[in-house]
Parts: sequence; C-alpha cells; structure tokens
Amino acid sequence: MKISFPYMGPVILYQKILEKFGHEVVMPIRPNKTTFDLGVKNSPEYACFPFKVLMGTYIQSCERGVEVIGTSGGHGPCRAGYYGEIHKRILKQMGYDVEFIIFDSVFRDSKKFWGQLKRITNHHNIFQAIPTFIYCYKLLQTIDHFEKRITRIRPYELVKGSVDDAWDKINRILSQTNNKEELFRDTEICNKMLDSIETFTIPEEEKLRIGIVGEIYVVMEPSVNGNIEKKLNDLGCETLRSQYLLEWVDYHILPTKSKKQHELDIIKKGSEYIKLNIGGHAQQTVGSMVDFYERNYDGVIHLMPFSCLPELVSQSITNTLSKKIPIMTLSLDEQSGEANNQTRIEAFVDLLRNRKMKKSRTA
Amino acid sequence: MKKIGIPHALLYWYYVPFFRTLFEELGYEVVISKETTKNIVNEGIKYSVPELCAPIKIHNGHVSTLLDTDVDYVFIPRFVSLRKYEVFCPKFMGLPDLSLHSIPNMEKKMLTCDIQVRKENIADIQTYQSLMETLGIEKKQFRRALKAAEQEWTASRRESLSRGRESLNKKDSIHIGLMGYVYNVYDKYLSMDITKKLEDMGIVFTTFEMIEEKDIYAETAKLDKELFWTFSNKVLGAGLHLIHNNLIDGLIHITAFGCGPDSFLGKIFEIESGEAEIPFLTIRIDEHSGENHLITRVEAFVDMLKRKKSGVFI
Repeated sequence: MKISFPYMGPVILYQKILEKFGHEVVMPIRPNKTTFDLGVKNSPEYACFPFKVLMGTYIQSCERGVEVIGTSGGHGPCRAGYYGEIHKRILKQMGYDVEFIIFDSVFRDSKKFWGQLKRITNHHNIFQAIPTFIYCYKLLQTIDHFEKRITRIRPYELVKGSVDDAWDKINRILSQTNNKEELFRDTEICNKMLDSIETFTIPEEEKLRIGIVGEIYVVMEPSVNGNIEKKLNDLGCETLRSQYLLEWVDYHILPTKSKKQHELDIIKKGSEYIKLNIGGHAQQTVGSMVDFYERNYDGVIHLMPFSCLPELVSQSITNTLSKKIPIMTLSLDEQSGEANNQTRIEAFVDLLRNRKMKKSRTA
Repeated sequence: MKKIGIPHALLYWYYVPFFRTLFEELGYEVVISKETTKNIVNEGIKYSVPELCAPIKIHNGHVSTLLDTDVDYVFIPRFVSLRKYEVFCPKFMGLPDLSLHSIPNMEKKMLTCDIQVRKENIADIQTYQSLMETLGIEKKQFRRALKAAEQEWTASRRESLSRGRESLNKKDSIHIGLMGYVYNVYDKYLSMDITKKLEDMGIVFTTFEMIEEKDIYAETAKLDKELFWTFSNKVLGAGLHLIHNNLIDGLIHITAFGCGPDSFLGKIFEIESGEAEIPFLTIRIDEHSGENHLITRVEAFVDMLKRKKSGVFI
C-alpha cells in the first residue's frame, strides 16, 4: 500500500524501515510556502502552527495518491496528541479517501495497537528490521554530529557560504549510504571536508554562544523557524539547540534506560520551576534554559508556535529566569514576517555582545 | 481568624460552594475577590504573557487584587485530573507555577494543592494531604469539613441539573445550546453577560453543566478517541448530546481567543452540527470588550432561528 507520514523528526528512518516491510513509501514534501498555505486554509483558525503544517503536508501527500498515513497519537495534555483525529475528519470532509493509522499508547488499548502494528509491518517479522534500525540510528548519530559541528564553524568561516555548500554535499553523501560500512567511510570524508574550510580565529572570551530552546517541532525544523540557526551563525554566534533527533529517539523510542539520562537531567532542572509534566516540552524548555545558564551561555532564544499551551507556561516562567540569563521568546506562525524576526534577533545579539564586553571590561 | 482569598475566576465558577464551605468549616475567613471589572482585567494583563488566553489573564488579575488586601493566603489549586485518562489543559496544570513566576510577592501567600482524583466530586481526602500539612490541620477535622463541602457542592449540582430539565421541557420557545466553559459563560465581563441577553430575548438555553454526566460520556464514548481535557470533554459531550437528540434549534460556542482545546472542539462542533443541519455560531471573546458586535451577531442568529422554526424562509 502507498503509505506516508508527517514530515517530522527522523523521516529517513521511517522511510527505510517501511520500505523494508515492502510498502510503497511516498516521502512527504519538506514544508514550504505551498504547504503552509494549504494547511492554513484548511485548519481551524486557532490550531497551533505544527497542526497547520502537518495539515498541508497531508493534503500534498493525498494529492500524490497516498492511501494510508501513519502517525503518532498521545494522551495529552498537549494538543498534539489529538492532531490525527482532527486531521482525519478534515481530510474526510475534503473528500480524500485516506486511512489513518494512529499509534496510541499500547497500555490504553493493546488490541488496537497490535492490530495496527501488524498492518504497518505487513505481516513481516518485526525483528527483521533491526539491522535497518541500527543503521538508521548510526545515521542519525552522524547527522546530529555534523549539525552540531557546522554551527560551531559557520560563524567564523572566511568565505561566506562555504559551510552551507559543504553541508549540502554532506547531506547528499549521507543519504546515498546504504549500510554501516559505507556510512563510516563517508563520515571520514565529510569530516575532512569540514576540516578544510578556512576560518578566522577570535579569542575565546569574545565568542558568543546562544542556546535555542522550545517546542520540538519549531526548534528542529529549519523550514518552520526561518532557519534561525543560520541567521544567528551569520551574526557571528555559535548555537546549540535543546532538541536533537538523536536525543528524541533516545528518550522516546529506545527501551534502554542509560541513554535517557541526559533528558532526565534536563527535566530535573526544569521541575524546580514547573512541578509537573504539563505536556509538550515545557519542563525540558525550562530545564534547558537553566542548563544553558549553568554552561555559561550568553543568551537563550525560546521558540514556540503561536498560542502553544505548554510553552506559554514556560514563557511565564522566563520572568524569573531572565534575571540569570537573557531570554528572548519568538512565537512563530504562518504570519511570521522574516524582517521582524531578523530585526529582533539582531537587536538581541547586539545586546548580548554589549553585555559581554561590559563584563570583560569590569573583570 | 486567618483569611484565605479565592480568586473569582476559572474553576471558581464550578467549585465555589465546595471550596468556600471547606475553608469556612476549617475555621478560616474566606475572601472571594469581586466580580471581574475593567481594572481587574488591566491588572491581569500587566502580569501575564500577552499570548495567554483571557480567562487566565483575568485569573492573574484577581490574584493580584487579592494580594493587595490583607489576606494570609491566596488559594490556587493545581487541577490535574478528575477522571481516568483525562487531564486538564496545560495552563491549569501549570497554574500555580505560572502565577508564582508572573505575579510579584506571590511566594509568601501561595496556597496550593494538587487535585488528582477519579471523579468530578473532588472530596477525596488523599489529594489534600499537602494542604493539610501546610495549614496544620488534623485529618479528622479535615474529613468533617470535606463532608460538608461535598454536600454543598452536590446540592448546587442538583440545582443545575434540574434547571436543565426545566429548560428542556419548554418546548415552544427557541432553544439554544450555549456551549462553553463556566468561566467564559458566567463571567459577566468576559461574556458580556450573554446569558442575560439571551433571557431578555426570550430564548431558552442549556449549558453543559445542566446535562447529566452519563449522557455526556455516552456521547464522547462514541468518538474514535475522546478528548483528553476534562471540561472540553464535558462541553463536547453535552453539545453532541443536544445535536444528536435534536433537542435544540441552534448551537452557540463561546470560546476564548487562543484557547487550545477549543480550536479542536470547535471544529468537531462545526462538522457535526453541519451534518445534523443545526445552525452554529462561534463567539470568540477576549479581554477587549465591545458589546455591540455581540448583540448584533446574537440577534441576527436568533432572528434566523425564529424564521427557520416558523417555517418562513425569505
């Protein structure tokens, strides 16, 4: 059957695994202007931005003849757990004949869960996919490694654009690998490519470091957040996000406890301010803010979709936290004007730079 | 006698007989903030993140006005869950944290407890453990107070339900389902007193708390998946009960600007009422008042319903 899924997180992982089970995979289109327009037009006006982006993605996939859409469910309190149900109703109303497979917790309705799993695995043995899974995991590790690395090189590149060119090439090379051996070989090549980029050096105490925190979708997807990391890099700041694919997979998918430690530490730091898990990534957001402060970062940019429920609570807490570290909240939706965000980011970076200079002078 | 302040906002509207009786029985003086006014709203806006929904801003306004008086505590419970598999909107679950970090001088007077029970009747002593410790009250005394509070509250619920039966019996006038959370519908400032306006027009209306719990959950059980927010489920179930049993002439959904659960709930109402051919109106409210548009829209809606009911189409 022709199957598709939301453009979120490790898409390449879903693709490789589903192909292993003999499905015809329709790769969702990377969200662009058309996706946003389609999504906004057909979504409830006050649904959050990720909902609208997914809506657009689904419509585009349906246009390409998708029969089944697989997605994750949830049980609140964040709205994301109910996305699938509303998407299903809207698509039905629009006249698309598409089946939804929404995975909820196995503990709620185990019969339904195993039935759905059987459909996805196409009656193949699920263990057959393990080598694919291991390869994809290594691939994610590599992609994350490079994502983190380029944000430390890009601020200091001599020729503007050289890192972006290299990043494009790296992406192409990595997506052509098929197994672990090829991946290891190509990782070497890519690392060398990045090593050869010419950079200028600035003293350690003048380097600006900014952490990016917030709701996972807008933090991770550059097409949704207006490529904020590149914007900051171009202004000469190093960046680090609170969310990376690998950490997400480690925490949510892998069964082992040891890998979860990083995320648990962050949540612990956050629980001092938000006592309960209130859904979404509010605790992680606040925890990461504290974490960036402890790691001596110069500032934090907090991203959230407009009217995001959990992130509004974490935004309320920035009142207290911004006494420790400068925090700026950007709320994103289909209306985000590029120039507006650019101006705010530039002003924020100027402020951080002045603050740093003042500090080093008094020290 | 020590004073406990209760903000006249959010779930106050559903649980006031409960908490007032509880604290009075425990020997405290209960101070309830005055009904929402322009000043309270402005105060709330001052201490809230701009994107928050109006009910939460108003809540912050009430808390801040209470802090200006001589109360010893301000009670801000953290509502977590009232039913298995159901939770509250994240803003309710983070309400004490949100208020603590938004409103100045809150730390000393904050009184909170997690409300995590399995039924709507929240008189479960387990969940008040932390409250008993903070106030230093014996278990026996607390249990007695809970009992009294429970009685008051069930009486008020019975009254709502009988009001609901009454309005369903009035067959000849226009009947509207007025769906929205208690703090949106009954806050006179926020809803611009829509209940009074409807009564003045001679309209009979039913709100969600006038409908039996079993009817509500019978409807939500039919969905592929229930919503996971307690009061959203109630509003949805009540609305669907009215739609599917053909009890109403029209449906009005009152929702606050930026309400997350309502963005989905409203869509379901829109689709379902469309299929049942029942006229549907959404009224979106926020802290900006402007009564005239509300009157115009409601009047137009009611006129349409009247024409439809009398069978005269123009």
